[in-house]
Amino acid sequence: MVMATLILILSIALCLFYIQTVCQKILARRFSEEYFRSIANANRLEFPFVRKAVEEFDGPVDYAWIRMALKCDYLALTYLLKNAANAKHRYARSEMLLIAYFHALFCTMGLLHLLKVPERPAIVKLTEILQHFADVVGERVSSVRFGDLSASDYLLSL
Amino acid sequence: MLDQLLTYCLQYGGYLLQLLLLTVFTARGHWRRNIGVFLYLVVFVSVDSAIRPYTLHHYGFQSRQYLHVYWFTDVVLTILAFALVCEFFRRACAGNDKIWQTLRPMLGFVFLLLAAISYFMIASNKDVYWHFIFQFQRNTYFTCLVLTTLLYIMMQRAEVRDEELGMLVCGMGILFAAPTAGLAGKGLLPDSAYMKILINHISQLCMLGMLSTWWYAVAKFPNAATVRDIPATVQGLE
Repeated sequence: MVMATLILILSIALCLFYIQTVCQKILARRFSEEYFRSIANANRLEFPFVRKAVEEFDGPVDYAWIRMALKCDYLALTYLLKNAANAKHRYARSEMLLIAYFHALFCTMGLLHLLKVPERPAIVKLTEILQHFADVVGERVSSVRFGDLSASDYLLSL
Repeated sequence: MLDQLLTYCLQYGGYLLQLLLLTVFTARGHWRRNIGVFLYLVVFVSVDSAIRPYTLHHYGFQSRQYLHVYWFTDVVLTILAFALVCEFFRRACAGNDKIWQTLRPMLGFVFLLLAAISYFMIASNKDVYWHFIFQFQRNTYFTCLVLTTLLYIMMQRAEVRDEELGMLVCGMGILFAAPTAGLAGKGLLPDSAYMKILINHISQLCMLGMLSTWWYAVAKFPNAATVRDIPATVQGLE
């Protein structure tokens, strides 16, 4: 009974660990250039500022602003992932996994805030996911030519 | 109704992914580098998409033939999975023969120990055959999960930068964790139909998770090679 309980808990924990590791390995993918900057500028995304604010300043963070900014950026980027230079108009498997990971981390961030535990690591991971999404969108857009339109012009036309 | 639909979606999604993965391995020539994974996939696809459906179609779900084929193929797949973990250990030790020479007899000993423990655990039981299969599988899955985790830790410590192998190991970890939890949970959780369906769906999802992870590993790291960090002494010489 005790042994079975231990095995059950351990195997569930290891399953979650491996899923998280896969997510981290997907996020560790290096792109040929920093596509996310042009995407963030064109769409006025705030996650680079959120990351900077969290990493560079030790003071208390404006949780309400961060939560809202991350949520809005997430909605914008998932829309772009589905529709920007994506002929299939659907997410790839790795993107679906990262979307689920984003939701899990977003809930964790809320929980940590409720428990008054520092939520910085969760916020940094959330911005990493958004940066990866922006890089993927940027890479896709840059790989397709839209006549005379630049990547930013194309995104504004969506 | 919804349960049936979900089961079919996961089942046929699995078949499709298995065939796609095999096609990619064959067409791109990845099978040479990942011969262990390729062989495991070939047996997995043969069992899952051909042997079991054929037996089910000819003899029916309640038949003894299907029961025998199902459990026998399950044991074969479990043993192959153990062999694949050993192959991953060998690949992680590439360029470091001393460690592999030490690990090889240890892995063999672990397998023999597994079989012996499984046998002694059921020695007092009348229906030895079925109990042996159940115990052996339960122990093997858990051992493989532990070995996979040890391999992952070893790769982190040795700073093996084979990204493809890292993803393949993670996929194996996901595959082993679900059946281990399912088999452990069988005795603990209430024996209801919903619980059985839930465990079945989680196992299918984890199988899809493993195949997707392997797909990603093959698709995103096409020219993966084992690279280790140059030791400090060598760096100093340069």
